[in-house]
Amino acid sequence: MKAAQFETHEPDTVEEAVSLLESLDDRAILAGGQSMVPMLRFRLAVPETVIDINCIDGLDYLEEEDGWLRIGALTRHADVEESALIDERYGSFADTAPLVADPQIRNRGTVAGAIAQADPKGDWGSVVLAHEGEVVAQGPDGERVIPAEDFFLLPYDTTLDENELITEIRVPTPAPREGSAYHKLKRKVGDYAMAGSAARLVLDEDGRIENAAIGLTAVDITNVRATDAEDHLEGERPGSEVFKRAGELAAEQSNPESDEHGDAGYKERMVNVLTQRALGDAAERAGLVKRRVSQ
Amino acid sequence: MTDTREITLTVNGTEHTIDVEPRQLLVHAIREELDLTGTHIGCDTGNCGACTVLKDGEPIKSCLMFATQADGSELMTVEGMEDLPEAGEDLHPLQEGFREEHGLQCGYCTPGMLMSGKALLDENPDPSEEEIREAISGNLCRCTGYQNIVRSIEYAAEELEAGEIAAADGGVVTDADGSTITPAEMTDADGEFDCGVENCCGGPMTDRDHDSIAGGESE
Repeated sequence: MKAAQFETHEPDTVEEAVSLLESLDDRAILAGGQSMVPMLRFRLAVPETVIDINCIDGLDYLEEEDGWLRIGALTRHADVEESALIDERYGSFADTAPLVADPQIRNRGTVAGAIAQADPKGDWGSVVLAHEGEVVAQGPDGERVIPAEDFFLLPYDTTLDENELITEIRVPTPAPREGSAYHKLKRKVGDYAMAGSAARLVLDEDGRIENAAIGLTAVDITNVRATDAEDHLEGERPGSEVFKRAGELAAEQSNPESDEHGDAGYKERMVNVLTQRALGDAAERAGLVKRRVSQ
Repeated sequence: MTDTREITLTVNGTEHTIDVEPRQLLVHAIREELDLTGTHIGCDTGNCGACTVLKDGEPIKSCLMFATQADGSELMTVEGMEDLPEAGEDLHPLQEGFREEHGLQCGYCTPGMLMSGKALLDENPDPSEEEIREAISGNLCRCTGYQNIVRSIEYAAEELEAGEIAAADGGVVTDADGSTITPAEMTDADGEFDCGVENCCGGPMTDRDHDSIAGGESE
């Protein structure tokens, strides 16, 4: 199916893009386009104008600066997948990137676009939640920083203002003794998650969990934090018993719907298992725990 | 009234300037404006990968971007393969691999598979089976299954490597003991590649047999 007719603008700067957002009524932002193009083609979105931001220079960065890992609005999934910095320091990002869709889509789709899309089955939302990250947006009145926690509102709906453009996703650089991981269940390559769990642990000098953060995929109306599990973990020593209870608490707090991929009870059990696995990897990557060889 | 925009696409080394509507997909521009129908439209939803082309060397799904977004870029489609320097008189080693290893039945997915295979071998000339499977994971085949497609790409990797050694050696492939073999000697009368291990690459067998005989990696 063909998209309905639209006009297209290709701003060269963020400022130009924001002023287009301000001056035009019925418009959509086009970044990587791997969700937006199908939405236009199936006429789920029928905007008069498409603002294609791909011509804006300098938005495709992936770097550490001033205590943040900064991911520009045009950084593709494949850029994260191929990054040595990510591979070395950000376990959950390294786990997630190759699990997003398929290689061709990862060459075009952007991390920021996926977060802006706010699909509750999207992976990056959980990762950014688990890293207690932020969304940086540019609007007519300047820059606004939105904690990831406050970003997701409903499926495909966020607290981004209608005249704002996301310019960056950022998460704090890892503390000493920090580790993170992402586990995802899907039926085949290219599928969205049936369930997913991103975990991040920060250990103190004694090896106790100082900070725990868990983000869940596809088991609620948005990507959500598993706060009960986090509370249970903090102050404890990492270990299979503690992780088992955290998995149960994450499952209890999750709210999946039955669908063709499985009933709600099955998905809750998967949240439990995926969370335990993510916690195990995160603890191992935090450096103080040797993983037991499974029987 | 429909506004069109002039864009320039360099496809398989040839520059084309065409007028497109903003809503025109790249795959439609390639097929309908440039008449290069080797790039297929399969699912029309971004899932199947039949429309895969290389944009500035990277595989992308041409049904998931608008033609205007490719303005100024270098594209490669299946039609460009036989003109590449590594292609022999007839087919590119990847295409040859799909023929030799029966990597297709209906052939619908093949152009996309070839593009994903090309992108892989450009980056990684000696991929493992797992790496090949990952590289074609965005391409669906509904007839052969993937076994022979993986073998086809392996075939191409070996051919390309042999070709490079031959080129560096002034046109002859050198065996380990220093004796020279011509490409014709590496294949039997049916054009089948023979690795030299008895009951290995010549006859019907399972993967497990192959691994145990050839001592290759198992999964």
